[in-house]
Amino acid sequence: MHSKPKVLWIDGVSCYGCSHSFYNYPQIKEILNKIELIYHPLLPSSEFKIQKSDLLIIEGALKNNFSRLDYNLNELISKLIKLSKKVLLIGTCAVYGGMFGEGILFDKDKEGKFYKCHEKMISIPGCPPHPEWIAYAIEMIIENKKILLDKENRPKEIFTYTSHMGCVRNEYFEWKIDADNFGEKEGCLFYHQGCQGPFTHSSCNRILWNEVNSKPRAGTPCFGCTEKTFPKKNLFETETFMGIPANIPLGVSKRAYLTLSGVAKSLKNERLSKRLIDEDN
Amino acid sequence: MKITKKIITKIEGEATLKIHKKNNIIEFAEIEFWQYRGMEEFLKNRPYMDACVINPRICGICGHSHLIATSKAIEDALDVKITKKAEILRDITLGLEIIQNHIKWFYLTLYPSVKSKDYFKALEFTKEISKIIALIAGQFPHNSYSIPGGVTCDLTNLELIKIKNYLSELFNKYQHIMDIEGKSNDLEELFSDIPKTTGKGLNRFLVLGDNLFFKSNGDVKYIKEEKSTSLNKNVMYKDKYFEVGPLARNLDNKIIKKIYETFTDSVYTRIFARLYEVNLIFLYLLEIIDNIEINEKNYTKPLKKSGKGIGVVEAPRGSLIHEIEIENGFVKKYNIIVPTQFNLSNSTKENPSPAQSALMNEDEKLSDFIFKCFDICAVCVSH
Ligand code: SF4
Ligand code: SF4
Repeated sequence: MHSKPKVLWIDGVSCYGCSHSFYNYPQIKEILNKIELIYHPLLPSSEFKIQKSDLLIIEGALKNNFSRLDYNLNELISKLIKLSKKVLLIGTCAVYGGMFGEGILFDKDKEGKFYKCHEKMISIPGCPPHPEWIAYAIEMIIENKKILLDKENRPKEIFTYTSHMGCVRNEYFEWKIDADNFGEKEGCLFYHQGCQGPFTHSSCNRILWNEVNSKPRAGTPCFGCTEKTFPKKNLFETETFMGIPANIPLGVSKRAYLTLSGVAKSLKNERLSKRLIDEDN
Repeated sequence: MKITKKIITKIEGEATLKIHKKNNIIEFAEIEFWQYRGMEEFLKNRPYMDACVINPRICGICGHSHLIATSKAIEDALDVKITKKAEILRDITLGLEIIQNHIKWFYLTLYPSVKSKDYFKALEFTKEISKIIALIAGQFPHNSYSIPGGVTCDLTNLELIKIKNYLSELFNKYQHIMDIEGKSNDLEELFSDIPKTTGKGLNRFLVLGDNLFFKSNGDVKYIKEEKSTSLNKNVMYKDKYFEVGPLARNLDNKIIKKIYETFTDSVYTRIFARLYEVNLIFLYLLEIIDNIEINEKNYTKPLKKSGKGIGVVEAPRGSLIHEIEIENGFVKKYNIIVPTQFNLSNSTKENPSPAQSALMNEDEKLSDFIFKCFDICAVCVSH
């Protein structure tokens, strides 16, 4: 039997939400049994030392003059990347910078400090990423399977979708019926509440969170947390242009979307225009 | 006297412990935090609602408490009242966050500092807890379903029934970790070679939040933050250090009180209170879930645009304080005080903080364990 792949999990500037998200993967034990976890910031592992790894997992962003384990963070990350065969960037912080700093691969929309090593890197953005996405990436890498990637090194099998796909509010989206307010099961959150679902690469409504739900299903807009722009300003409000959302669904022209909206609104859907469950009905 | 420096990890970030010792007995310990993320600065000049997305990201294990504290601070600033239903839902999700935190802390943080233990059973448990939170809040970690004015979800009885059944199923399962009488094989095993009177704190307790069944015994106006030698800020109440957390807020429970009376505020009592609190929360949630009026409103829109407010909650590790100043809908000022700042202030040998006091006069080889019994959240400190 050959030895298990050595995996080193290092934390940059982080909130550890990526790790805690991964903990919710139902078969986490199976995955961890397939690897030798030589370091993890929270899970039991041996003392940290700078060493070679088959897979380096990075959670969190880069930041100048930030100390990690008594090293300068950016220098530490640089050394570890050099010593690893593959690098898996977990979370929007690690991929783009997100809330806390610069990403490893990108600094928001620009190339990042370690872009030159992009050939050995895989991005799993999300704040946090879904546990299944993380599990997928680890499995694919250790089994040496080919992962089809988009331009930002994201696996297409996860990120070719939008988070809008599969949302239970899709009927309201079709008929352009907005939610009057927060706290209602009726209405789509795209028109006023700031939902970024139709233009966010992610599969939150296809692979449900904690196996049961998603933010838009629970009445919270999608904040586009898998994208380089996260976190945008004014996250609970839709920016509009000529009466329609300024950011429109991926793949449609503004003109086409404007026409479609007009038509859908003029053909009123009676059923969806009132509360679904009403004591008087 | 010798001083040794140790970086403590596996505590949601890292802390530096400088131990002053003589013959391996700790005379004094300095506690330093050398990370800073600038969350409060990041919030400035953003619409106040953005804080409901930014603040959970202060911490991956107790971010939900930050979300609820944010909502409360804004509600206080803008004079918004929420419905009973919204309040109960917040209590449920926050209570569940406390539960997952305690179980992870016990098996993933505390146990490994003494002996090894199968931690997968903890994760099997906490993933189910996360699932109940997600049924209400959309996902865990990092949802934003609690917003100023209430909650974003609109549940039906279908979800409520499911949640209730999950709660009672998990409560029953928890009896194997610690039962309602306070018996716990895993806890006794942990203390097989450690005296139960180890690690005494200051025997001064503070509770500032009043969510769930907790009763506040103080007033936030007496809180003072002070510069420390590292990037952390010390926190005092009426110019004194106090312990916050599960022991502080559950001393009126008769089972916890009995342990406290036997061992005082030792490491054992502290751990016991944390594990036992899980039972109390389960029972409380099973009770309040029946008080939900399904037709009640979930959300009331805030009308005011400016104001100053404070939001306090009892988070997994103790009292958490958020202060906000809003001007014309935008964040002008934000300040966060986290429980770890209370328990792990870096003070002097003459006037130590709870954790410093617990470490003093103990064997150096127990330093990691004693330190971690406070359930440190370094990442919260480095907000
Ligand atoms: S990507 Fe999000 S969840 Fe992950 S470390 Fe960064 S802020 Fe936390
Ligand atoms: S709420 Fe968001 S994700 Fe759901 S249908 Fe509307 S736009 Fe799509």
